[in-house]
Order: sequence, then structure tokens, then C-alpha cells
Amino acid sequence: MTFESPLPFSALSVRKADASLISRRNDRLPGNAGIWVGIFCVLVEFLLLFGVYFIAKAHHREAFLSGPDKLATVAGVTITLLLLTSGYGMVKAVAAIRRNERRTAFGWVLSAMFFGLGYPLVKFFEIRWNIAHGIDGEAGIFYTVYYYLTLNHLVHVSWGLLGLCWVALRTYWGAYSARDYSGLEAAALYWHTTDVIWLVIFPLFYVLR
Amino acid sequence: MGHAESIWLVLISLTGAGAWLAESGHVGWPLTLTVAALIALKGRLVIDHYMELRWAPRRFRRALLAFVLIAAACAIVSHAVAKGM
Repeated sequence: MTFESPLPFSALSVRKADASLISRRNDRLPGNAGIWVGIFCVLVEFLLLFGVYFIAKAHHREAFLSGPDKLATVAGVTITLLLLTSGYGMVKAVAAIRRNERRTAFGWVLSAMFFGLGYPLVKFFEIRWNIAHGIDGEAGIFYTVYYYLTLNHLVHVSWGLLGLCWVALRTYWGAYSARDYSGLEAAALYWHTTDVIWLVIFPLFYVLR
Repeated sequence: MGHAESIWLVLISLTGAGAWLAESGHVGWPLTLTVAALIALKGRLVIDHYMELRWAPRRFRRALLAFVLIAAACAIVSHAVAKGM
């Protein structure tokens, strides 16, 4: 029996038994309950960290006006492109597993991991470049907050990368199918959440004056 | 070009716009308001199309949207406070 798909991909053909999962709009929670607890904890944590940034900026206007000038914009832009492209890979992986194409899904998860691993690599060279130019954690309030937020984000991205490794293995082992892919989708959701957070961090430190 | 590819391309283009802004030397209100709009727009694209929260229970989508909107609003407010307005 075929239902109209609520998803932005090709129409899904599902059995009647599966219809309750996707048949009603605004009623399907992607992933699983556990990942949403984690996602909301991360969002609250970063809201508090953004609060630190905005309070510091309000009190140290000159430091935040000139701070971005010394940072390597190319590093921030590259990380953004890597995360967005990696996120696209996870969108395709979830779409593939919905079609029950496990090998294709596995390939897309590997692609997401490949681009995602570029993040810590770029971060490593960025920090090395920073240190060479005298930008360490004690270079001023702007850079203290910059390290505080960006390194915290790097930690969460590392958890996300470990999650991608795990779901890559599970996909390879055939643990996911068109009927059961909540684990893969949960990893994708967490990964996209780190993306959403970075989309805020990037302009705060590299663009805003 | 598929839906996911279109969204990816828009996000990449908006990132390019952000990169240009970063290097353009712009400061002040026009930059702040543009950055706030970029945060909200890119965040919404990821939330709706990457995370597919358009189809999730509304409170989940609203919570994520609130996150990016609060960040965008704080960017505006902190700029106003820093300028002593």
C-alpha cells in the first residue's frame, strides 16, 4: 500500500504496519528519545556559552571589534563548508537506508566521516597558525572566549564523529533497514545539531565586528 | 538537481556571502543585521531540510528555531549595548 510521503525525498512505499510511523504530518519524531535528550542538553550548554560571548562583547566592544581581524577567516569558512558537506552526506545516507539501499547508505556515511574528519584537521592547523601569530588563550578577552567556545564545539564534533564511526559499522553489518533506521537517523540528527551550532559560532568569531 | 543538493548549494552560497562579509571590512549595523539574518536563514535550512523537523512534532522544531533566533537576536542586542544604545 502506498502512502503520500511526508519526507522531502522520493515517495516511500510502506506496508500498512509501518504507516503509523510516517503517515501523519507533524507527528513523527526523527531519531530516538535518547538522542533528543542529548541534543537539548547540548543546545542549552551552547546557549549559556553564547551568553558568555554576548556579555563579554557588550563590555569589551573594542576587543570584539578588532578580534576577528587576526583570526584566519579561511579556517572558519573551510570548517563551515566541511560540516555542511558532511551533513549533506548524512542526509543522503538516511535517504538511502529508507530505500533499503544499505551499501549506498554505508558509502554516504563514509563520505560524511571523510568531510567531518577535515574539521579537527583544519582546527589543528588553525590553532598552530594562531599560536605562531601570538594568539593564545591569554591574548585578550575575545580570544579567550573564542578558544572556550570553539574548543568546546570541537569536543562535541568529536563525539559526533565517534557516533558516525559507530553507525558506519552498524550500516556495514546490516543493522539498519528501511523498517528500522532510527540509530542511523539519531547519529545524523546529532551531527546536524553540531552543524546548527557552528552556523552560529562562525559569524560570531570570524565575521561580526 | 535533487532537493538535498539544492539545499546544500544554498547553504554553501550563503557561507560564501558570510566569507565575503568577513573580508569586506564592513562594520556596524548593516553587518550585524545581515549576520543575524544569515544565522537565522542557514539555521532554518538545516533544521527544516537536513534534520527534517518540518515533519516532526512542532515543539521540537520550535525549540531548534528558538535556538538560532535567540542567537541572532543576541547578536543584535549585544551590538546595540556595545554601541551604548
